[in-house]
Amino acid sequence: MNVIFQSTYYTLYQAANERCFYIDFGQKTVRMSLCQLLALRHKLMSINIEDHFDSDLNAHGFEVLMLCNKEHLFVLNTLEILDLQRLVYNSFVSLGLAVGAMETVTS
Amino acid sequence: MKDIARQSMSIKVESMDLLNGQIKMEAHASATYLAMASWCEQNGFFTSAKFFFKQAEEEREHMMKIFNFLVDTGGNPISPEVTGINHDYSSIVDVFESTLEHEVKVTKSIHNIVKKARELGDFATERFLDWFVMEQIEEENTVRDILDMIEVTGTEGVGLQMIDNKVLDWID
Repeated sequence: MNVIFQSTYYTLYQAANERCFYIDFGQKTVRMSLCQLLALRHKLMSINIEDHFDSDLNAHGFEVLMLCNKEHLFVLNTLEILDLQRLVYNSFVSLGLAVGAMETVTS
Repeated sequence: MKDIARQSMSIKVESMDLLNGQIKMEAHASATYLAMASWCEQNGFFTSAKFFFKQAEEEREHMMKIFNFLVDTGGNPISPEVTGINHDYSSIVDVFESTLEHEVKVTKSIHNIVKKARELGDFATERFLDWFVMEQIEEENTVRDILDMIEVTGTEGVGLQMIDNKVLDWID
């Protein structure tokens, strides 16, 4: 497997022989097709991160993410969401499917 | 290293995002024209209602064209949420003026995607949008012609009835 991009908490791999990708979330590794990676990207784009700083809109600063047609469920905090966004956006750049990379948002 | 990503998808994700935005815009236009058809029916402009029913269908066809393009290129088309449709118009002139405004907005949006696709070197998206660029010229021209006809006819006396009858000329 080849590393496509590594962020602070996560790593995206390409498994050429299986024609798929893997994201290492730390506590578990999730297998994904490109379509599922696109779906994850869409979910991440739909998150309004500013809501995390308004207790009326997001009281606890968590997001529930269901991936791969509800096969996996993750509860991520603000920093983890920002880091996952960075991983996914930059991975698409590394894969040659996007042009604009995302700056580092977590350290 | 095998390029699995490129083998699975033939356009840039930035273009895909903009095209998903366009899908939403076309869906919104379709719903807006349906609201206009409803207004025309309720206010006795039956020919104009037919015109807007047809426009609503056309906008949905445009939406599906983009949706299918994203399917064909391995993208992730998103079914749009449509909210905030205006149902209130002060007159038939207001209806057609709003239509022109809407079409100009759609044209600008299409041009913006063409520009971005060109910057990204996304030739497939750029070429795909050629049809939309030409279609928008036709759409804008139709509404401009109707507004010219309204100006010539005038809205006094039987003018409104004549306007509604004349709209038939723009229904294929």
